[in-house]
Amino acid sequence: MTNLVASALPSRAGWRRTGPAMVSAVAMVAMIAVCSSLQSEVLTVPGLALVLSTTVPLVIAAQAQMVLMAVGDIDLGIGNFVGLVTVITATKLVSSPGTGALLLLGLVAAYAVLGALIHLRRVPSLIATLGASFVWLGLGLFLLPTPGGSTPEWLASFGSWQPAGFPAPLLPILAVAALVWLLSARSSVGVRVRALGSNPVALQRAGLRPLAARVVAYAVAGGLGVLSGLVLASQTGGGDVSSASSYTLITVAAVILGGGSFAGGTAVPWGVAIGGITLGLVSVVLSLLDVPSNMQSAVQGVIVLAVLAGRVVVGKVLR
Amino acid sequence: MHVDNLPVGSHAAPPQGDRTPSPAPPVVTARRVTRTYGRTRALTGVDLDVRAGEVLGLVGHNGAGKSTLMRVLAGLEACDEGTVTVGGQEASRDVAPGTGPFRAVRMAYQETSLCPDLTVAENIWVSSRHCLPRLGWRRAASRAVARRLDEMFPSHRVAPRDRIEDLSLAQRQMVEIVRASLVDRLELLILDEPTESLGPDAARSLYAYVRRLTAQGTAVLLISHRIREVLSVADRVAVMRDGAVVAERPAAGLGEQDVLALMGAEVVEPTATPAPARAAGERPVVATLRGATGHGLHDVSITVGRGEVVGLAGLAGQGQQQVLERLWRPVRRDTTVAGTRAYVPGDRQRSGVLPLWSVAENLIVTAMRGLARYGVRRTGAEDVAVRDWVDRLAIRGGADAGMTELSGGNQQKVIVARAFASTADLVLLDDPFRGVDVHTKTDLYTLIRQEAAGGRSVVWYSSENAEMAHCDRVYVLRAGRVVAELTGAEISEERIIAVSFAESESTGAQR
Amino acid sequence: MTLRTLARPWIWGFAAAALVWVLILAISNQGGGQTVSLALSLAPYLVIVGLGQMLVITAGPGNIDVSVAPIISLAGFVAVQVTATTGSVPVGILAGIGTGLAVAVVSVVAILGLSVPPIIATLAAGLIASSLTLSLADGFTAVPDDGLRRLLNLRPAGVPVLAVAVAALTALVVALLRRTTYGRSLLAVGQSRPAAERAGVPVARVIAITYLASGALAGLAGALLAAYIAPSPDLGTRYLLDSVAVVVIGGTLISGGRAVPVGIWGSALFFILLDGLVNLVGWNTAAQNLLKGGLVLFVLFLAGGGTLRNPGATTRSRRRLRPAAATTAGTSTGENSNG
Repeated sequence: MTNLVASALPSRAGWRRTGPAMVSAVAMVAMIAVCSSLQSEVLTVPGLALVLSTTVPLVIAAQAQMVLMAVGDIDLGIGNFVGLVTVITATKLVSSPGTGALLLLGLVAAYAVLGALIHLRRVPSLIATLGASFVWLGLGLFLLPTPGGSTPEWLASFGSWQPAGFPAPLLPILAVAALVWLLSARSSVGVRVRALGSNPVALQRAGLRPLAARVVAYAVAGGLGVLSGLVLASQTGGGDVSSASSYTLITVAAVILGGGSFAGGTAVPWGVAIGGITLGLVSVVLSLLDVPSNMQSAVQGVIVLAVLAGRVVVGKVLR
Repeated sequence: MHVDNLPVGSHAAPPQGDRTPSPAPPVVTARRVTRTYGRTRALTGVDLDVRAGEVLGLVGHNGAGKSTLMRVLAGLEACDEGTVTVGGQEASRDVAPGTGPFRAVRMAYQETSLCPDLTVAENIWVSSRHCLPRLGWRRAASRAVARRLDEMFPSHRVAPRDRIEDLSLAQRQMVEIVRASLVDRLELLILDEPTESLGPDAARSLYAYVRRLTAQGTAVLLISHRIREVLSVADRVAVMRDGAVVAERPAAGLGEQDVLALMGAEVVEPTATPAPARAAGERPVVATLRGATGHGLHDVSITVGRGEVVGLAGLAGQGQQQVLERLWRPVRRDTTVAGTRAYVPGDRQRSGVLPLWSVAENLIVTAMRGLARYGVRRTGAEDVAVRDWVDRLAIRGGADAGMTELSGGNQQKVIVARAFASTADLVLLDDPFRGVDVHTKTDLYTLIRQEAAGGRSVVWYSSENAEMAHCDRVYVLRAGRVVAELTGAEISEERIIAVSFAESESTGAQR
Repeated sequence: MTLRTLARPWIWGFAAAALVWVLILAISNQGGGQTVSLALSLAPYLVIVGLGQMLVITAGPGNIDVSVAPIISLAGFVAVQVTATTGSVPVGILAGIGTGLAVAVVSVVAILGLSVPPIIATLAAGLIASSLTLSLADGFTAVPDDGLRRLLNLRPAGVPVLAVAVAALTALVVALLRRTTYGRSLLAVGQSRPAAERAGVPVARVIAITYLASGALAGLAGALLAAYIAPSPDLGTRYLLDSVAVVVIGGTLISGGRAVPVGIWGSALFFILLDGLVNLVGWNTAAQNLLKGGLVLFVLFLAGGGTLRNPGATTRSRRRLRPAAATTAGTSTGENSNG
């Protein structure tokens, strides 16, 4: 009897895990279908590139959020952090590339230190990262009080890169998702990080240090945040510390849509990519549908609630 | 060094063919080991040898100190006094699992120490990473775990890529045991209730493997409530009681009754005078469970009369807490409760104490609701009630002391008082007196009897069987079923122990 | 005892405010009283929102209301519109409060009904609210009521009327926490949700009331703020971060269970005075944000997860955010079973 149930389990469990990402994927495909039915050029390579380009920095930032949520934390500073990176990119990285690069590395280190302090002082990451977001904002305004600046040439050329065969934005989205997947799902570092989110007691019993795992997670998140800022700067061609402030909460929603959870322990890089694109596409669909852009955030909110409600229903059915 | 190398090496004793315990060198030795948590003395001076190539069974009732002893032997925590020697090397005070001599000691935990979100192979990496190659560890771990699972549990149906959360309870237990056994050098394998969730076939193949292990010189420490099982597998049996090993006997020639007797069935506790038992039929019924099934219960029927103290006994985790849960939140149709309820939690730190508050605030939080008018507190009436209860139970420190400044016993008094200070008709006690000193216990027993005499009903789950003497009626639970109902003079520690340990062939396959 | 007083972080809000005030006095030649009076007329809006956020944070780990900013903006438009249509200021303000309640209802349904984590539930509710705000803002013509604006600007003897009213509101919240069963239940839930549940506290109801109160207070702040400045879609934007920051600096326990309403005044005054100082010195807002963020982190890491106060016994239960510590300790005390 037990064995019969057990053999039936994996498929159900697998569905339960990939379900959220599947629902998001269906929503994503539906959105692209709607877009293409309204504007047939969407399905061409330049059309897809145009539609997808705005979602790239969001998806990368969502990967950063996902890494922190895998250890059971949450980052409310990622939006301003990405904004700060665009500012550094548009100022120091142009004037003196060496200093700029050092500054960006320093930001990654700052994230690692933040993670260490959160762990050692046992404070909620929610509030600590919120406090840090003030600091990122302040630093950004300090460097560049009003939006402006210019991006380094190599970055600008990346932003305007238009390969013939496929939509350019897919490359960074897929590359980063693959990288995060390798790191979080395949490597031993990823096992440590997920183990910390899943069962810290087991981690300690095995003689592994939770502090190290948390610091690594924060450093990776900081690195991804820097990457997101670089991409955003390449698209906007300048720096603006508040250009990504909406990312903070949307990235959390993207992780949830992609199948992540607040409890920690799960890494869903592919789901996060889908969730991020879905949320990013909302504005495109609405503008094509001639719905006032005002409704964009409401639609995002309803999508998030609907997906979560769906999950509750699915969870009850599968039980 | 490869992970699935079996421990055949210079360190191991020569293989033993027969089951007669011969004086092989001890791999782990404990001498006068004590361990205290707060005011609870979990270990009071343990002497124990585990010898190479033997299976040592460790038995004892709830709270006898088995878990703590295992944690000390596994290097999970240091002992306060005494010494632990592993492989001839004395363990230092700042121990860590998997380091120094403890690297060759592995333990399979009853509640498992697996990460539910990780795959089987990844969990193997977490616990056995020092025996795995840096590159290609996943494949190496998968191969090792698959091979060992095949050896230990031929019918396991677990793939190394499965996530732990997707496995059944039995499969998780298999993975946990395999996880513990996978190491380059294994001197002592500790198995904590390994067959609790395994079926009979899996249990048989596990013990067959254990035999092979010991034949190669590894020592196995087996902890189980299933005494017959221990007797059939172990070479020697050590019995624990009150934080010490009270007997070490060869298993051969030992019977179940002998072990039960050694475990404390013969101990005579200071006898409490049980209240004159009245039949439940004479009282108006306050609460009933009619054939409750599900969430760990199987066809449980229970009635609670007005003014009656009903006990729930048996080994820990046999469904007693689920019964309390149903009575606390009677949402199902099979449960009816007439009147209001109050709950005394057993896990003081987690679900009892409100740490920022004083004694008075902690005590009154339940009664506050009944005293208030239109949601506004009546502090005068509250103060009177608090003072009354603080005096009645002689709570040290008084009403204004901080809750966390109190000793465990006094904290427990406050939490018991919290429930009885309310107007609840039915009070549910979830093993609240574990680790509480004798004087406090006596006070609280008296209180319970007084309150019952005043017309309140009490349902009391306790892991200390001696406490059940204060009940009018006792239901003994095993594996989610009521296996006995004892009344009045029938209630005795021996009876309860006998009933809770009595094995039927079906219990193994239940889950 | 001195250690205890020092460990009360709410003092730092007032201390920082006083420090900034002294700096302003030293730099400018305007009267110190005037500075305080101006600060007192600006701080109450932040205090109102902060009180609501404080109740939410007090409900325990994971509880946060990120919908306050959109509620403020939306309630501003609704209140101004209703006031202009009905001609009645009280009705307008009530409409603002009602708006906040309505948005909070969405959050509460999601939190309790769908078991959505509060941050996501309030985020989604806030997203819906901000869409409504933008729709309302299109072609919005109504202007705030002049009488209300004059009332909000009224400062007899240098003391703003609004400050007095919000001080009374603060006193009301203090009384709510001390004197009502709801207040005590909220503090119990915040200290330990399982313990509160076992003590018979109706946890779900307490959580619902708390989020509704936060929504209502944000709505009230929006209605007043719109009359004071003007309705705009960005009216509430800065209040999300600021409301959490004033609660943290104000000394409310971030892990829940202890609320310090008075402390919010200290940190709110500090934030407002900091704005004044920054304007005076001619610093950009960068320094202001750095100071705010730095102080939040400083207070947070110094206070820690309770290690500073009563080391030992209490630390374990205060670290509820990290179940690891509790689990390790729990497993050591007795036999475990997977029943």
